[in-house]
Amino acid sequence: MMRLLLFFFASVPFWFPTTKTIDGVKVPEEVASAYDKLPAELDYNQHVKPVLSDKCFACHGPDKAKQKAGLRLDVAQAAYGSLPENPGKVAVKPGNLAKSELVHRILSNDPDYQMPTPQSHLTLTAEEKAILLKWVKTGAVYKPHWAFVKPEKKAVPTLNGLSGYSPVNEIDYFVGQRLVREGLTPSVEAPKELLLRRLSLDVTGLPPTTAEIDAFLADKSPNAYEKQVDRLLASPHFGERMATDWLDVARYADSHGYTVDRLRDMSPYRDWVINAFNQNMRYDAFIHQQLAGDLMKGPTGNTPSRDMLIATAFNRNHQQNMEGGIVEEEFQTEYVMDRANTFGDAFMALSLGCARCHDHKYDPISQKNYYELYSFFNNVREAGQISWNDDLPTPTLLLPTEKQEELIRFMQSSMKEQETKLAKTVDASDASFQTWLGTGEPQKLKTQAVPQVGLQGFFTFEDSLRNTVNPSHKGKMKRDAGDADKPVFSKTARGQVLELNGDSYADLRPVGVFRKSEPFSVGIWAWFPKDFKEGVIFHKSNAERLYNFKGFHLHAKNNRFEICMAHTAPSNAITRQSNQPIPRERWVQLTMTYDGSSKANGFKLFMDGAELGMETVMDQLYKDIIFYDVKNETGLQIGGWWRGLGFKGGKVDDVVVYNRTLTPFEIKILANKATWQAIVDKPVASLSQEERAVLKDYYVSAVDAAVAAERAVLQQQRTAFSDSTRHIAEIMVMQEMPTPKRSYLLQRGQYDAPGAEVFPATPASVLPFSATLPKNRLGLAQWLTDPNHPLTARVAVNRYWQNFFGTGLVKTTEDFGNQGELPSHPELLDWLAVTFRQDYGWDVKRLVKLMVMSATYRQDSRTSAELRERDPENRLLARGPATRLTAEMLRDNALVASGLLNTKIGGKSVKPYQPDGLWEINSMTYKMDTTDAIYRRSLYVIVKRSVPNPTLGTFDAPTRSSCIVRRQRTNTPLQALVTLNDPTYVEASRVMGEQMARQKQVSEAIEWAYRQLTGKRPNENEVKLLDKLYTTQYETFKANSTKTKGWLKTGLKKIDTTLEPAQVAAYAVVANTILNSDATITKR
Amino acid sequence: MTPHHDEPFRLHTPEFSGLNQQLDRRDFLKRTASGLGAMALGSLLGTPSFGATPILPKAKRVVYLFMAGGPSQFETFDYKPKLQSMLGAALPDSVRKGQRLTGMSANQASLPIAPSVYGFKQHGTTRTWVSELLPYTAQVVDDLCLIKSVYTEQINHDPAITFFQTGHQLPGRPSIGSWVSYGLGSENQNLPSFIVLVSKDASKDQPLYARLWGNGFLPSEYQGVQFRSGKDPVLFLNNPEGYDGNDREQMLGYLSQLNRLQNDTWGDPEVNARIAQYEMAYRMQTSVPEVMDTSQEPDEVFDLYGPGSRDKGSYAANCLLARKLLEKDVRFVQLYHQGWDHHGSLPKGMAKQCKQIDQATAGLLIDLKRRGLLEDTLVVWGGEFGRTVYSQGKLAANDYGRDHHPRCFTMWMAGAGVKSGFSYGQTDDFSYNIVKDPVHVHDFQATLLHLMGVDHEQLTYKYQGRRFRLTDVHGKLVKGILS
Repeated sequence: MMRLLLFFFASVPFWFPTTKTIDGVKVPEEVASAYDKLPAELDYNQHVKPVLSDKCFACHGPDKAKQKAGLRLDVAQAAYGSLPENPGKVAVKPGNLAKSELVHRILSNDPDYQMPTPQSHLTLTAEEKAILLKWVKTGAVYKPHWAFVKPEKKAVPTLNGLSGYSPVNEIDYFVGQRLVREGLTPSVEAPKELLLRRLSLDVTGLPPTTAEIDAFLADKSPNAYEKQVDRLLASPHFGERMATDWLDVARYADSHGYTVDRLRDMSPYRDWVINAFNQNMRYDAFIHQQLAGDLMKGPTGNTPSRDMLIATAFNRNHQQNMEGGIVEEEFQTEYVMDRANTFGDAFMALSLGCARCHDHKYDPISQKNYYELYSFFNNVREAGQISWNDDLPTPTLLLPTEKQEELIRFMQSSMKEQETKLAKTVDASDASFQTWLGTGEPQKLKTQAVPQVGLQGFFTFEDSLRNTVNPSHKGKMKRDAGDADKPVFSKTARGQVLELNGDSYADLRPVGVFRKSEPFSVGIWAWFPKDFKEGVIFHKSNAERLYNFKGFHLHAKNNRFEICMAHTAPSNAITRQSNQPIPRERWVQLTMTYDGSSKANGFKLFMDGAELGMETVMDQLYKDIIFYDVKNETGLQIGGWWRGLGFKGGKVDDVVVYNRTLTPFEIKILANKATWQAIVDKPVASLSQEERAVLKDYYVSAVDAAVAAERAVLQQQRTAFSDSTRHIAEIMVMQEMPTPKRSYLLQRGQYDAPGAEVFPATPASVLPFSATLPKNRLGLAQWLTDPNHPLTARVAVNRYWQNFFGTGLVKTTEDFGNQGELPSHPELLDWLAVTFRQDYGWDVKRLVKLMVMSATYRQDSRTSAELRERDPENRLLARGPATRLTAEMLRDNALVASGLLNTKIGGKSVKPYQPDGLWEINSMTYKMDTTDAIYRRSLYVIVKRSVPNPTLGTFDAPTRSSCIVRRQRTNTPLQALVTLNDPTYVEASRVMGEQMARQKQVSEAIEWAYRQLTGKRPNENEVKLLDKLYTTQYETFKANSTKTKGWLKTGLKKIDTTLEPAQVAAYAVVANTILNSDATITKR
Repeated sequence: MTPHHDEPFRLHTPEFSGLNQQLDRRDFLKRTASGLGAMALGSLLGTPSFGATPILPKAKRVVYLFMAGGPSQFETFDYKPKLQSMLGAALPDSVRKGQRLTGMSANQASLPIAPSVYGFKQHGTTRTWVSELLPYTAQVVDDLCLIKSVYTEQINHDPAITFFQTGHQLPGRPSIGSWVSYGLGSENQNLPSFIVLVSKDASKDQPLYARLWGNGFLPSEYQGVQFRSGKDPVLFLNNPEGYDGNDREQMLGYLSQLNRLQNDTWGDPEVNARIAQYEMAYRMQTSVPEVMDTSQEPDEVFDLYGPGSRDKGSYAANCLLARKLLEKDVRFVQLYHQGWDHHGSLPKGMAKQCKQIDQATAGLLIDLKRRGLLEDTLVVWGGEFGRTVYSQGKLAANDYGRDHHPRCFTMWMAGAGVKSGFSYGQTDDFSYNIVKDPVHVHDFQATLLHLMGVDHEQLTYKYQGRRFRLTDVHGKLVKGILS
């Protein structure tokens, strides 16, 4: 019954509105009255498009797939044209309401006819209807979207009608002009104390010291303020403050994100950002280096500098997944998309990500455009599933310290010398070789079924998995999960062989553990079934992808053999693929040899005694290939691996393992293609040149003691070198693949639904990609800073404006598209953009100085109730900015006020106070630092994406999972609990309390603490109030000393025991009260 | 200039501070409802209404028992007797149909069928099949609405759990509890409207992360607040040691006077709003420990929830605490119990997991029912996906593992607005594919919102130029389970 009733009420209109007639069309009165109130001239961008975009474009906009009834309203031609489903009718007939279908539809009450449709859940207000009507009536003029039109510098306006106002620079003229138009007057300059606090916090993120305030108050010179601006811009803390915002944009964090969320150290990138701001790097270079530093020329030559490579970490800061079951391609694709999305958000304020699955609904960005941009970021050889053992995902850059670098250089030159020495020793071995030929030793070789020198393992599978060379190595079948199987043998013409099912594998440890400095050879007889597609033949590693193939392996895929040797695949590795296909249903002998050089040309594969031609996919192995796990280091495994494809249906036999590089002739012997007998039975004199060479080759490899000694020295040096690079810091960077990876439009945004191939290009609606630019990330970076680019400079100055004024000139800092807000001062925005790019040459400090020098910035933030009501968000700028301190500023302010701040700049992130047990939900334990690192600035506090630091996170510091250009600014009870009870703030209050207790008088102590925290003196009433608070608290604590406990014992900082506890605690409460008051929390 | 971006509209005066959350709600109404008519109707009937056709809310609150890791349907509710004779047989290609597997078993050479080692019996007047691992749940099966045909597209934990909790597989969107809290506001001025509890006694096989109860792009007041079992149940709730509530009250009195003195200069409504937040914080300092204190509960209640219920932070204790929170009209309580990710040794693992949750879950239902709370409380139980019929790793008669299976799994709902003693949806003999009445994650979400009186298509928030909603652009009401 209730339902019926509701339905009845809902479907029957309550009233029948009266109507008026405009241009022959009946219009409800409320629309007509809104119509009359509209300005005489409507501006398409300002008035009309926001309505069309928000209420119509979802079905009649740029997304071709979603265009209903074939109508699009975002371009004039289409809107004026004949309606495909209503031939003869048009949606918009300029100047004629009656003939415009749009008009009838938006005024209709018929659910089957009206627009927007009821299903869309969108409705037009009377004012919005009136706007559309008036627009049609006045000619339905379309204009290009303002943000896609190149900014032009208009003349700075002159100001009439603002008496007594003294503008400082151009900003003030633009702002003043608008104020005149609105009938408002600017505010006077803020009181000096407040102004310096505002400026210091905005420019350095730190409050002014009392001494700095006093100096400024005493400075009566006309340029006193400018001196402060210059001082602060020169401070190294400027870089820290600017970096804090950029790190939000760059989604910088200390953990990988996603579910497992292990820690990683990307702090060199953070420090690069701080430095870049402090060095006043030009904004264009700042962009170029982050997007494409690896493709640029360095200052000293052709290769980029180390710093330029570190900058490219910008594109590796995204989250990376190490969940066990994920599909490699899915997340590899996700990372590329993250880069493309961040590129749009950070530099162009365009939500490109919307075009991932379909054409953008509101902006002229097609799905094809999206994947064209995507393709710029796709040419990096990276893993989708990253390594479980905490190795940094590759590609990485090693960051040796100066000392390490010196050592590396020394070791490299020693190795080079030793290589020369070895070569000389080989050259000099002829005489001893001749002697050896005559000793009768060569004849002994005929007795060997397989080469014996260096043989560590020989597994014939005749009776078991044991090693015939060392029977204590028993071998064992293993599998991913469940109980171990028994080996399955079968009799063949080769004798007994091991059969494989793809899941079970023979673990032959400890045989097969080699380092990248050690030569080795592994041989195997293998039989491939006809339908075999992909799988591992043998390997030494822990698992398949989850360990990024650390170790070495012989793998078959795409009907080719792949050999790989990796520290962390795919980019810290040597990977080669055979040109020849895999033979089926016959026994083949495969031998992998390696010479210890860490180079692809020393890593080979032979089949049936002949070296296979191979394509080198990666030749960049710079750290070792073992796990450095003495107890559990895995050895050689045959036929399968954890969570990977194995050698299903395959058979293997006669596995041999050597600790040296076998010679080609020996490999032929393994393959039954040659015998020593045929050579050594001949008299020495009748040996052919070729035969002598074979013997010489063997002699040098396996016999000559002098050569062996030199080789051992080289190997030792290489091992030492590897050990010394083991702990060198690394950072993830970008590295372009030599041949670009193919990119495709992904249907519905799905990694496994590729459509047409796409190539690097930029959306023509923004700016076409010039043919003169390289089609790579560097070209893309240069495209951004092209003088004709409509967005880059605007977006940058708007974000800086937001930093200093609290709100951007375009409030939607993140969206300059059709759904974004219009600029409050369009001419000013454009003037600033052109000035920044063209006149200032992208000089950031100069731009900042311009902003903070302006009279607009320096205004008092006090205002009348009327103006507050009229302009609650201060978009007209008739007063100075006032905002709550950011999470970082709030904590840093308390640290400065208490004198606890540790001003060290840069380095690894720190772990200050944090309640126990938070990281446990993510299976980690937070171990707090126990040094004065806990008093470092907030931008150094560790960011673990899955568990935000509560001190900062509660005050809206983002989790850095994606690019954020505008933070929330909320006001919640949880924030009160932080500043009241978080040890960070309790300790700071107590340390202040101790200093207050040393003052002579209560009022002095109060004034001192107040100034420390708020940058200004308290007024008489405040002192009185706080004095009373002190007295009552003192009495409380005096009467009951247990109440002081928390106030006195919180924090690492030792307490001064000479002071009276009740007094310190009472002062701590006073300090904490000031800390929680508006004068501290708000920057005014 | 017309504001084109909706942001929560707030009245910044102290008198209205308590109304702030409701105002956000009204703003939402203003933005989404068809206009005055619906609003007027809503208030006329004394019920919140959303949209042109108002929905009568059935549920005032939700308790969502999230079984993180993906519990097996084979050992709980989806009885598959035909499998018993198929131990070790290969999963037929005609069943698998080439559907994708995770990176963990995709490379397995064979996919052998593993029937449940645990027996099933019929229970209740509805003769519903329940596994022997859930004897207590079996006793309340007549109160449950089993949905055996839930499915998702996500095959791995992070995307799947993120999808369930936020309607999207990638991080960044608001969680379901945040949406509800944003849409409906709070009924309790002393407690957060969205509270999260994490079992301390669960095996932590797959980690959790705070964004699962995060507010995404919604204002942060709508984030879930985790209540922890230690001495500081809400972060920084406790005053410095020794400083008691009266001391704090006195200090806050001075603080608010100081703020007012300072605000004489500024006249900034934000200051008043902050004063109100400090008052709320102070109230939470009292109300949170109060509601978390279960010491006054009679023994009979602890007996009902089972042996773990006296051990604070355990699943059983959290269930009891959830009941107390619901009694206080907390809007959305979400419990997480990890440990359901049984890739290997599943029989042992499932026995342990089920034992941990079975009695307390049934106890919660019974307790809610006898207090009359089940009438307007919705209880939800389920994980992020199901498990495969084939064994991951080696199959033995009494030992096997199961990999992730997104294509069908069982959840249940109970209480407000859903049929009781009812089973919905059906899977094939292998519980591999759905043969009847599929329920997508978005459908589940749409239904949950519907039960709370919210049209999932209309609860939207505009961010970066786009109107987002929990169900993205999908989701349809599962009418078949509504009572």
